Amino acid sequence: MTAPVVADSRQRRAARSGFVTLRVPGRDLSARFETRALVVTLVLTAVTAVVFAWSLSVGDFPIPFGDVVRTLVGGGTTDSDFIIRTLRLPRGLTGLFVGAGFGLAGAIIQRIARNPLASPDIIGTNAGAAAAALFVIVVLNGTTAQVTGGALAGALGASLSVYLLAYKRGVTGYRFVLVGIGITFMLEAVVSYLLTRGRIEDVHEATAWLNGSLNGRGWDDVRPMGWALLVLGPAALLLARQLRMLELGDDMAKGLGLRVERARGALLLVAVVLAAVATASGGPIRFAALVAPQIARRLVGERSVALVPSAVCGALLVTASDLVGRRLFAPTELPVGVVTAVVGAPFLLWLLARANRIGSAG
Amino acid sequence: MTATTEAVATTEAAATTGPAAASGPSLAAENVSLAYDDRVIVDGLSVTIPTGKFTVVVGANACGKSTLLRGLARLLRPQAGTVLLDGHDIHRLPTREVARRLGMLPQQPIAPEGITVADLVGRGRHPHQRWFRQWSPADEKAVQEALEATGTADLADRPVDELSGGQRQRAWIALALAQGTDLMLLDEPTTFLDLAHQIEVLDLLADLNRREERTIVAVLHDLNLACRYAHHLVAMCDGAIVAEGPPREVVNAELVAEVFGLECLVVPDPVTDTPLIVPLPAGHRAEGGASAGPAAGAASATAAPAGTGAGAPAEGAAAVAGGAVA
Repeated sequence: MTAPVVADSRQRRAARSGFVTLRVPGRDLSARFETRALVVTLVLTAVTAVVFAWSLSVGDFPIPFGDVVRTLVGGGTTDSDFIIRTLRLPRGLTGLFVGAGFGLAGAIIQRIARNPLASPDIIGTNAGAAAAALFVIVVLNGTTAQVTGGALAGALGASLSVYLLAYKRGVTGYRFVLVGIGITFMLEAVVSYLLTRGRIEDVHEATAWLNGSLNGRGWDDVRPMGWALLVLGPAALLLARQLRMLELGDDMAKGLGLRVERARGALLLVAVVLAAVATASGGPIRFAALVAPQIARRLVGERSVALVPSAVCGALLVTASDLVGRRLFAPTELPVGVVTAVVGAPFLLWLLARANRIGSAG
Repeated sequence: MTATTEAVATTEAAATTGPAAASGPSLAAENVSLAYDDRVIVDGLSVTIPTGKFTVVVGANACGKSTLLRGLARLLRPQAGTVLLDGHDIHRLPTREVARRLGMLPQQPIAPEGITVADLVGRGRHPHQRWFRQWSPADEKAVQEALEATGTADLADRPVDELSGGQRQRAWIALALAQGTDLMLLDEPTTFLDLAHQIEVLDLLADLNRREERTIVAVLHDLNLACRYAHHLVAMCDGAIVAEGPPREVVNAELVAEVFGLECLVVPDPVTDTPLIVPLPAGHRAEGGASAGPAAGAASATAAPAGTGAGAPAEGAAAVAGGAVA
């Protein structure tokens, strides 16, 4: 082995290649970002902001782009104020937050299971939230807060069952996915049963919700998801370091001083609660949690945990899908979940085909 | 007991320039029993890892050598007994603290898809980092040095899954190096590598041991390479240690027969003078109960002066063939 003793300047930089480090001079404080993830996040955020503003401007009463911005900063007319602040903004924000929540939850679970199929919409989290929320809507006639609480309980219960049933010295790979799919089928049976038992008005409302719809969302729907993101978003970012270690496998992570079970438990809890609240607010929007992290990952070059890019990607995906759903056959609206399904289903097939090809090699 | 072991090991190691630093890390197992669920693999084993030496653990498949290594690295909690790191129960020390003193490279570690070498090696710094101190100048220095020491600085931007087996293994060793521990445990670091890459990896480890006085413990499959590189050899069979010590003192045909169930001839390596195991082909093996013959022949071959390296195997083979016939 010939180890170069004197490294040239290019080699000197080898240790930091691909990263940007911020340090506070004179203090032992530093933060490190992947250069490409940072750039992707900034670009995606800008695109999302434009699509978001656009979604506020179009509708039965088009409002010029400039007026939208003016209204948002508090200088609009009475009409535009009402249309934007009372009608369109809550819906837009719900889509934005729900998308971000699904994107973040999907990114975390996919990374932990090292499998793109292990996303909350496939492994029972969303189905658990949906079944429980439906129970609250149809049987208990609950309020928004109660529906959220029910969704939370359902998602946690379903996820815990999947985790425990799939646990065998760790929770990686297809075992996790297959157990999750099984649980999902069972919960969907519960959903069908509740739909046949419910009163016709409740069922109508519930069906719209089950499709994943942002129609008629008010400020009451924005708040739970806003709070969830405010609390769990930073928690996820702190846990991202642990997630990077978990990716190296349990033994390696333990060897590097990580308390593996605790870190994984905390990460899963964050992801499940995010997915549950998102499901309660926007319905089980299909494929959002599956597709958003995969797109983000490809944009950042398949080498990052990509939590923030996944969240932004999810926000963009849901916001754009809702915009398409609203405008494609206007004035008839398509629920956002139908649009994401149309985009997501082919993507899922492509992932499956690809996983099959890779799967044969291990 | 520890002192004598170290003294013996020190005089044996021709490569080391001086006695191992007294302040170096110490790792020992005391009467440990290791099990997966209720399948006991290792039962009541004690071993002391000589500080500053290259220790190699050998044994047949499923003899418990990887399990022992996982136990020593606190990846597996013993059902009985204790593993002592610097005199303290390793399971009572904070895991992050242990990670600053002891590094462990598992068998076939998983590289996240698409990860670059620099990113992978940087993750070895985790025990030295906090959420508010994600990348200190010390981290950067350690990673840079690890990349250079393993000859992977040129590969820093390359995705790990595009590397050759040997390069990949060097990247993983760089991660363990960046961790900055005086003690490194490696589980079969040469498995799935071709011979040239096996030598490349072992040379690197020997170099790290020699230059930086790191204590290295590796599980190896190849007994000849183990004999060549180890200062201290630990031979295991059925979850117990059969023999340990400098390869030249402990390796003989009886040991190989006991540990691997293989009849062989042990001759001095013509280059390094360490024991060289020559398995006997079917035609040269003793039938049934006559196994005492070849064992005795092999033992005498080992004892013979090693001056004529090339000649020795032929003589030994002849002696064994004779024994088998008789």
